[in-house]
Amino acid sequence: MPESSREERQRKITGQRFFGEIEQEALRLKERDDYLPEFNYFLDLLIEGQDPTILAQRTGRPVAALMCLQAPLEIFHACGIQPFKIYGGSQVATRLSSPLLPPVMCPMLRSALGTLMLGAKEGLPFKIFVAPTTCDWVVKLDELLSLCSINSPCPIHRLELPHLKDRPESQERWLEEIYGLTKFLLAEMGIKKLRPQDLRKSMDIYQKAWKLYSRLMDLKREGLISFSWFLVVANSFFYADVEEWTEKLKILVAAFKTNGKAPRGPKVFVAGSPMFFPNLKMARVIEAAGLVVVMDDLCSSERLFPGAVFYDDYSLHGLIKALAQRYHQGCLCPTFADNDRRVNNIIAPAHKKLYKGVIFHVLKGCHPFDLESLSLEARLKDEGLKFLKLETDYTAEDSQTLLTRLEAFRSALTDD
Amino acid sequence: MGFKIGLDLGSTAIKMVLVKGDKVEWSRLVATAPGQEALALDLVKGALTERGLGDGDIENIAATGYGKKLMTSAGHTVDEISANATGLFKLSSGRCRTIINIGGQDLKVINLTEKGKVADFKMNDKCAAGTGRFFEQAARILDTPLESFGEMSKLADEPLELNSTCVVFAESEIVSLLAKGVPKERIIKGLHHSVARRVANLLGRHKVPNDGDIYLDGGPSQNVGLLEALEDELLMEVKVLPNPQYTVAFGAAISGY
Repeated sequence: MPESSREERQRKITGQRFFGEIEQEALRLKERDDYLPEFNYFLDLLIEGQDPTILAQRTGRPVAALMCLQAPLEIFHACGIQPFKIYGGSQVATRLSSPLLPPVMCPMLRSALGTLMLGAKEGLPFKIFVAPTTCDWVVKLDELLSLCSINSPCPIHRLELPHLKDRPESQERWLEEIYGLTKFLLAEMGIKKLRPQDLRKSMDIYQKAWKLYSRLMDLKREGLISFSWFLVVANSFFYADVEEWTEKLKILVAAFKTNGKAPRGPKVFVAGSPMFFPNLKMARVIEAAGLVVVMDDLCSSERLFPGAVFYDDYSLHGLIKALAQRYHQGCLCPTFADNDRRVNNIIAPAHKKLYKGVIFHVLKGCHPFDLESLSLEARLKDEGLKFLKLETDYTAEDSQTLLTRLEAFRSALTDD
Repeated sequence: MGFKIGLDLGSTAIKMVLVKGDKVEWSRLVATAPGQEALALDLVKGALTERGLGDGDIENIAATGYGKKLMTSAGHTVDEISANATGLFKLSSGRCRTIINIGGQDLKVINLTEKGKVADFKMNDKCAAGTGRFFEQAARILDTPLESFGEMSKLADEPLELNSTCVVFAESEIVSLLAKGVPKERIIKGLHHSVARRVANLLGRHKVPNDGDIYLDGGPSQNVGLLEALEDELLMEVKVLPNPQYTVAFGAAISGY
């Protein structure tokens, strides 16, 4: 059989299994006791919306692929572009990319590359690709795409992320990067100038989404929405028009006020590597151990939005500066060198007794989180807090040993 | 009434203890095989028959270990880390502060509070390197009974430097050493030290408090050669209680009392 047709056949089989994996996880979620019909919208987005072509049709805007969360979404929106964050939660998709990549590598990126390979024959269905230089894997994105023979007909715009965010020079440099991004997006869309009122309108739209999302986080603090369902809602964010998503979120939050049931169990904070649908293994095992996740700092979950963007200068410069500051200084990604705020964000809620212990999730090959876990563990223990590091990948075979640890962790938290 | 049963359904063996008060009255194990609940219930039946007891004499059956959820007839289940802590703390009269547990497929280091609760713990991930399975594999390749490992390693002056505790890679390394004519005693001593180094890495910078002791338990803890290697690597005394393979089952039996 010629190599090209063998590859094509492999791609086709993997594609079928990929959708099977997604449907299986969706079915599992719908069979849960805490399922509400209001979740369907978000679940459907995850089932069909991971296809950028469908997203472009739904929103009527060209789609920009995004690595990481440092590029201000409001600028994309104001330029008429739909941002599409590249995640990877499929174990099946890694079957395409794994033979071409280093054996120890971030499973999320491995999965994301595999997912891109599913549609790679026709070229990536994005107008542009925007990639901030966060972790080593993302820095090497061009090589990784090339290794996977993913032909990108769209231009890749790099954002050089200064990793010392508290330095004034770094902040100035980042502002220049955001100006560069804005120019790039305008040029790609054939727009001569970005009007401040258009950017403000987009900022208002995202602030509205964030405020509502904060209400969903409040429900999580009370244990009313489970971690698994919270992840479904969060993960779906990039697969819809932001205003439509916000409207549906409003309906969901209202439904919880009448239907929400609080699960019992020790409250925990989940930190570390991202979790993304359909790989909800870790969330499921945590819940099976009887632990209630009330907070997290995952970039695929609570860190989706950088928080409130403050500005009193309504000029275009003032708005772009406010966005650049928020997306840089407010970012809690572990790739920054000066990151006390990230650690404090985890420790401070414990002082208010909002949770009893920290579960630190490390995807094997995700070096920034792995490194950080050592110093964080020491800091947390100094504060008298319980800490459990769990290293895993996307395979299901370690579910039982993870459960054993989590059950013991629950006992330790209950004994306190 | 008055008797409690603890069942530890592990990856290589099912262990059972019959307990009255805090004293183990009867213990036995059977190799793990399909139909774990039936095997465990056979142990229970055997204990009752040997002791002339009836179902009415049993206050509770507690299950722990990987197969605990399979014991539908258990009164309650306990995770094996908490059961281990409870059991060893009680059996050591409150002296234990750190447990090194080497099971069939896992390796755990458990730190205890002064009240005998789990303070924190570390466990190997999904690799069986340095566990009971590793020793079983080595025994097969060396064609030497596992029970002889302890005494044989004492006959070697210096341990051989082995590179791997991986169940798969150790095989080729051991075969190659045997082919070179290296005495089995040195290889076995080397195996013990490589496992001990792995335990030391898992223990990390943890310090055992002055008022407490460190204990080794699980099936491989009956191997005196491994115990010596651990003491050499950790530079501290490591204690082993009699019948260390039953500590977890005992802990399950007395948990909640």
